[in-house]
Amino acid sequence: MFNYNIKYTVENTYENPVFEAFWQYLVIPLNNETQQLISSEFKTSVDSRIEKSINGYNFETARIHCKKPFESIQFEAVFKVVKTEAAPLKNIENLNDEDDFKALNDLDFKIDFYSYLNGTSLTTLPEQYSGIYLFDTTKSVIENVKLLNAWVYTHLYYKTEVTAVDTSLAEIIEKRHGVCQDFTHLFCAIARKNKVPARYVSGYLHQGNGFFGDSQMHAWVEVFVPHMGWIGFDPTNNILTDHNHIKVSHGKDYNDCAPLKGVLYSTGENQTKYEVEVTYQQ
Amino acid sequence: MEPTNFKHLFSSYDSNENLFDEIFDKDQNVRQVYKKIFELYNGHSIDDFVNLNNKAKTFFFNQGITFQVYNDTKPKEKIFPFDLFPRIIDAEEWKTIERGVLQRCKALNAFIHDIYHDKNIIKAGLVPMELIGSSANYLTQMVDLDPVAGIYNHISGTDLIKHSDGKYYVLEDNIRCPSGVSYVIYNRNALKRSLFGVFNHYEIQPVVDYSENLLEMMESVKPKGVDVPTCVIITPGVFNSAYYEHSFLAKTMGIELVEGRDLLVENDFVYMKTINGLKKVDVIYRRIDDGFLDPLEFRKDSAIGVPGLFAAYKKGNVTLVNAPGTGVADDKAIYTYMPEIIKFYLGEKPILNNVHTYHCSRPTDLKYVLENIPNLVVKPVDEAGGYGISIGNKLTKAEVEAVKKVILENPRKYIAQPIMSLSVHATYIDECQSFEQRHVDLRTFTLLGRDKEFVLKGGLTRVALQKGNLIVNSSQGGGSKDTWVLKK
Repeated sequence: MFNYNIKYTVENTYENPVFEAFWQYLVIPLNNETQQLISSEFKTSVDSRIEKSINGYNFETARIHCKKPFESIQFEAVFKVVKTEAAPLKNIENLNDEDDFKALNDLDFKIDFYSYLNGTSLTTLPEQYSGIYLFDTTKSVIENVKLLNAWVYTHLYYKTEVTAVDTSLAEIIEKRHGVCQDFTHLFCAIARKNKVPARYVSGYLHQGNGFFGDSQMHAWVEVFVPHMGWIGFDPTNNILTDHNHIKVSHGKDYNDCAPLKGVLYSTGENQTKYEVEVTYQQ
Repeated sequence: MEPTNFKHLFSSYDSNENLFDEIFDKDQNVRQVYKKIFELYNGHSIDDFVNLNNKAKTFFFNQGITFQVYNDTKPKEKIFPFDLFPRIIDAEEWKTIERGVLQRCKALNAFIHDIYHDKNIIKAGLVPMELIGSSANYLTQMVDLDPVAGIYNHISGTDLIKHSDGKYYVLEDNIRCPSGVSYVIYNRNALKRSLFGVFNHYEIQPVVDYSENLLEMMESVKPKGVDVPTCVIITPGVFNSAYYEHSFLAKTMGIELVEGRDLLVENDFVYMKTINGLKKVDVIYRRIDDGFLDPLEFRKDSAIGVPGLFAAYKKGNVTLVNAPGTGVADDKAIYTYMPEIIKFYLGEKPILNNVHTYHCSRPTDLKYVLENIPNLVVKPVDEAGGYGISIGNKLTKAEVEAVKKVILENPRKYIAQPIMSLSVHATYIDECQSFEQRHVDLRTFTLLGRDKEFVLKGGLTRVALQKGNLIVNSSQGGGSKDTWVLKK
């Protein structure tokens, strides 16, 4: 059992007063087989209620509707989460590799996983790189995905503030650097190109172990391996996901998982500062 | 043989053997249903029609019945061109049309449900998955979501033409935000004002009951637990080309016309801001495209939507008419599969014909299209209003090459159909002050609700005002006619 305290804070400041604003935060940890959300608390510096709602992809969101003018706003969310140790991957050696690839080519399989088999604007390999990484069909799917994880990790260098949410995959592949989100997009694009369903996961990473990706929300991949199910890979750190990964949501790419979406009525520049703190409690 | 009924008003009327003329048969005799009106019209002089035409124009102008044309510079407000000669459809013929469009709308509804649930038609190998998934109108957010009474395409507009073989063919199914129904009602009004006398000679089905049926349909799909639903229409605003229609429908249904900023979502319920405070809204006829409905769920740059609307919809607290994601079946590439779709869900043979459609994402179709452009109409799958259409026999050699190039750049985006010869109908032409042949089509309006089906007995007959032109969309300079469905 691992007890975590997660603090997500964001501060927005505006050049001119904001008259009305809506925000939607997709930051609440999920309840699933390996993690349990014990408590969540929300606070804002403005006098507005916080509503919870379910978004189009069935994830819980927190929403604020601010009707009074303001020039800056702070939002803070604190979560307590208990994680259990992820079960180790079983029977990898006993898998029949051929069956594995046959399953990927089954029509019903392709239909059921369609959303995670096709590229989006952020996860489509550019034409000139379409063959950048091809799976070896003499090996099992899980073996291939592990190798891909290592390949993405070595192909890109972790570097902050050189890419943005809309940086194209072509630029990321060429310049060979980026943050967790870029690692994840590249991984998804290649897995999908090789007919393996892959989804973008947004969540928190426990920072204590010197992993890349701290102080912001983290991103990793879940891959659907036939006969095994969805399995998490963290290409930014070249590991399988474990108890240090606390999941919030998944989708086709970053756009489905953006932690913060909002609409506001104002003019001029604005600044956003946000921070994530994950602490481990004995 | 000297044609018997060909008199002065129609003296300069062309005839073309290759086209189906709605009024005259092959021997130049007036068809039975038109006999009386032909006689009546011939009792007037051309000067009368010049006067009447001006009167009708003034009526449309004074009523503010206009539409906007978008082009490269700035939008232009135009009076909707209305024609004095009505189109007449006899009761028997109408029965077939009505059964046919209902069949299509029901099959499409079942299809949309299926592709957001079990995807049986795809698993059966009848419709390729790529076509659905790659459609810009497929909304993953709609997967497994069940709209009230299972209805997606509450309001459909089906475009039909009559080919030279005298049979009706469906050109398109419009199930996003089909517009034009207000013109149907105003065309009837305008004709009654101009030539009231002609209505004494025919028993015509009314069109004025559309709004009450629309409201009844909207109320039939109210959310669970609501007693008397509050219904509204949401419009993108006064700059939308169909704003006139939005306000017309709201006015005739006696419900509010709202914009995004008039609505507010709290705790997943939708409210309308009124001078008496907030009022809960239960059914929204939305004339806003999917992507703009909710900036928190779809396009974040939408300034015309309502933040949080989709979550309220998903929870079943409000009904959206038509359902988001319905446009996936509106995609012209899906049209190719309509005969299979009807057979698969209804176990019936299609009542109305489909125009053979080549889809450029299929290699054999693509090859055929590239080699036969001069004989085909090429259309983008996801545009509306007649934009982006190329008609093969009107293209120069250079233009043919240009069309080939755009198809090859993105084959998924294009379909092609044989050039259908739309039937022609006598139409009063302003510039030459006489009646001439012009191509026409017909848009029908169908409503589906809980235990409710309704097809407006009439429809919008659109006229291509330029001689020989086949594009009838009002945004491309088309006009329209009052359309009569006879009672017997």
